[in-house]
Amino acid sequence: MKQLYTLLIAAFTLTLVACNKETPTTQTDVMNNMLTNKTWYLDYSVTGSTTKSYVGQSTYFVSYLKDGSVKDSDGLTGTYTVELINSKSQIHVQVKTANGNPLEVFYNIISVGDSKMILAKQVTSGAATQMYFTNK
Amino acid sequence: MQIRKSIFTKHFLLLIVAIAFINVATAQTSKFKSHLDNNLSLFGALTLNNQSVNDAGITAPINYLFNSVNNNVFKPGYSGGFRYDGIYNQKHFYSVSFSVNRVSAGTLYKNKYTQAPFVDDFTHFKADNQFTTLSVAAHYKMLLPVNEMRKYKFYAVAGPSLDYKISAISAEHLINGAGNRTYINGDLGAEFDNKGYYVLYAHYKLGTNLFSSSVPTTLNRFELGMSIKVKDLF
Repeated sequence: MKQLYTLLIAAFTLTLVACNKETPTTQTDVMNNMLTNKTWYLDYSVTGSTTKSYVGQSTYFVSYLKDGSVKDSDGLTGTYTVELINSKSQIHVQVKTANGNPLEVFYNIISVGDSKMILAKQVTSGAATQMYFTNK
Repeated sequence: MQIRKSIFTKHFLLLIVAIAFINVATAQTSKFKSHLDNNLSLFGALTLNNQSVNDAGITAPINYLFNSVNNNVFKPGYSGGFRYDGIYNQKHFYSVSFSVNRVSAGTLYKNKYTQAPFVDDFTHFKADNQFTTLSVAAHYKMLLPVNEMRKYKFYAVAGPSLDYKISAISAEHLINGAGNRTYINGDLGAEFDNKGYYVLYAHYKLGTNLFSSSVPTTLNRFELGMSIKVKDLF
């Protein structure tokens, strides 16, 4: 009986040691960690078969901060969230223009990493522009 | 400070588990009277570890630069535990062992992706390459007719083992159902028993996920270790 108790205590201890599982927010948490507290510089944009390079030039950049705020080189500031909608990963940006008008933009995340990110701005018609960013 | 406290707590809990198993195994030793030459040994081993990862099942749009995560080498780790050696029906040698393993593994990623024209050679997944497992193994030992068998015994060893990951799994490793704690291994090896004073052994373990995972992983390990009987130590 004493041994049974010992084994029960050991089994209980094991359950305490190991208890982390995937949650509905695991994917967005990982992507958020890669995105935040970095400034992303636009290197290329691709629309259809047209590629524009901004490498070595003064280019557009955007900073996603840990507190959920965003600001870009155009002077727009606001908030952002990383969302998973219908199995698609998105950055949902809400900013105010220089005139004070609210602007809401959704970017599909094509790929995000520690130093490279590809976004596609959601459009209702025509080919979406893919934007290739580097974190420098 | 909090991290240090949690690490201390985790190792303390592991110690309790190890003591509990030793306690039970020691108590059981005297009960196996139909088995001859029962003995309990403590062992320690140095290990070399490598894992290969197939991330084809990952759908999350995440990139890790291939050259920064891929490292197809064997990295060193260590393990320690206790084993019970016996002879069944006076002719079948066997051992059952319990161990705690600290695995540090080189990782081979089987898939490489590109996103032209900009991102070259990346993977969708980053595997944890340092983790701790609890392991249980049952080995059949075949006495080899080498040298003078009364003094020095050589065994060929084979059998299954099971590893259960007890360390925390990172969020990056959990993504899209990739997290999998249990590995089942096939073990092969050789052992040298020096007059019963100690046993030197070399084992090779080839493991795979016991349950299905979106990222099937193969774990290769070499163990070089030594075991000494508990009654000679204490």
